[in-house]
Amino acid sequence: MSTSPELASTTPLLPLARRTTGVRNLVRKEMGQWWTTRTWWIHLILWIVVLDVVSALVVRDPDLTAADALAEAIRTFLLMCAAAVAVGVVVTVQGAVVGEKELGTAAWVISKPVSRRSFITAKLVAHVTGFLVTAVVVPALGFILVAQTADVPSIDLGRFAAGVAVVALAVSFYVVLTLALGVLFTGRGPIAGIGVGLVLTGLFFRGMLPTALVVATPWPLGDVAASLALGTDLDFTWYVPVLINVATGAALLTIALWRFEREEL
Amino acid sequence: MQTRIVHDSVPAASKPEPVIKTESLTKRYGSIVALGELDLEVPRNSVFGFLGPNGAGKTTTMKMLVGLARPTSGRATIFGLNSHTDGRNIRSRVGYLAQDPRFYPHLTARETLRFVARFFYHGAGRALDTRIDETLDLVGLADKAERPTRGFSGGERQRLGIAQAHINHPDLLILDEPAAALDPLGRRDVLAIIGRLREHTTVFYSTHILDDVERVSDHVAILNHGRLVASAPTRDLLDGSAGAYELTLRGSTASVVPMMRSLSWVTGVQTTADKELTRVAVSVNDEARADHDLLRVVLADDDVAVVQFGRRRSNLEEVFLDLVEGTRAVGNQTKGDQTEGNETEGRQNEYIA
Repeated sequence: MSTSPELASTTPLLPLARRTTGVRNLVRKEMGQWWTTRTWWIHLILWIVVLDVVSALVVRDPDLTAADALAEAIRTFLLMCAAAVAVGVVVTVQGAVVGEKELGTAAWVISKPVSRRSFITAKLVAHVTGFLVTAVVVPALGFILVAQTADVPSIDLGRFAAGVAVVALAVSFYVVLTLALGVLFTGRGPIAGIGVGLVLTGLFFRGMLPTALVVATPWPLGDVAASLALGTDLDFTWYVPVLINVATGAALLTIALWRFEREEL
Repeated sequence: MQTRIVHDSVPAASKPEPVIKTESLTKRYGSIVALGELDLEVPRNSVFGFLGPNGAGKTTTMKMLVGLARPTSGRATIFGLNSHTDGRNIRSRVGYLAQDPRFYPHLTARETLRFVARFFYHGAGRALDTRIDETLDLVGLADKAERPTRGFSGGERQRLGIAQAHINHPDLLILDEPAAALDPLGRRDVLAIIGRLREHTTVFYSTHILDDVERVSDHVAILNHGRLVASAPTRDLLDGSAGAYELTLRGSTASVVPMMRSLSWVTGVQTTADKELTRVAVSVNDEARADHDLLRVVLADDDVAVVQFGRRRSNLEEVFLDLVEGTRAVGNQTKGDQTEGNETEGRQNEYIA
């Protein structure tokens, strides 16, 4: 170490206002973890392969008419996007809060002039942005490209965009859920168990459950997305699960922020 | 039992407001009292050593001060602001080093400091880089600035921890075991830095390395089992052996020791022979007479030469062990321990002003 450090630096630095919450700095850091590391391209390649390659195979199915092939490809893309990406979200985001609590970096960051709300908000912004870009928007653009190069009718872009928007809601819901579980639990097991369990229960058992219960879960959002993209009917009004999931997501976020304010780090 | 040392030579009215003040600060985890009714004042620009054995409540106290944990009852103020309700304002003027500092492993040392600095300052210009360079140099990490922290040793993490705590040139540094993971050279450097920081900031640090405290702290508080057992300027604590003198004599002590024992104001004499020298510890109940007469009595004996004479000065380890083990003896006292317990309590009472 230096034996004669300049302790009273004359360097002119502009202090931040006392009321700042640190959210901008935290969002920059969280975004950096997505976009300045290999995270973004690993996710991008994974989701393009999983969503667009499979959809490309469906859209070129020789046993289907051109219109049916396109419809089936759109349905496959949106349903897989809602379910598979949800699992990806849980696996990726499960350690976002718990990992920092375990490592001690959460305590380190909170010991700075930041609000605890900013800590969670920054993670939410970064993970929602990361997943929407790499697992929803770019693969959706890729799907449009795949469909245009196949011998099928043109996609109704407006309807498709509406379907993608609902899928984006589903992905955002799972990000909120996983972050909230990360605040509520101290280990990764319950977070992964509850998150992945919710997705798998929807895939395998929702047919056994009453519709009134199913629409209160994120499970039908893939169906809603496909219905909007294809203009087909559902057993329920399409916006009911959308509104319920927006409300549930908001409630989970509120609980997470409230609980994290009281967390002993 | 709570034994406190309070040396107030400055009248209360003219005393500057302490940087840290806790009033009955308490933290319970269920039935376990991690910290019990702590009343503490940390003076401005002091280097305040916060001592105690493992599990004494030092880290709990520090976490409550920076808002990482909530008090069960009582309150703490820093710069006159409530640590619970004004946490962000307080933290904008505080640098904190955790006991086992951890950072984002993918960030380099420079990126880590830039990340921290942006909580305090605008922009990412040359001024910020200059501050980061200065701080890296201060802790001896200039040559490791571009290395991701995932490869850092415990000592390097500790240095980076001190750097990030100091990046905003805080009014108060709260350091939890700042020298614990360092080698002797690193420890020496950290203590030197702490000593120099005294002019610019208040340093409140915990440790169980007593030698370090004795070297740099001007104030000391000792915590045991969540209770404050002592708080005083270091000098006063070390001078706390009232009525005790030490002599080193050469020659035969056969007559001088009985002579000393016969004096009415001498309460005890202990001798330890070491080659041709004899160390004599003398306890008295009248310091004024001892100051005036003790050396004269000894010099009157032609069989001995006085090599050294003075009041006995404790070292911090003795004081610490007395207080920490003493409270344990009193707290767990049984009938058979009565004599030892009373002696311990008597010794502790020496520290009560």
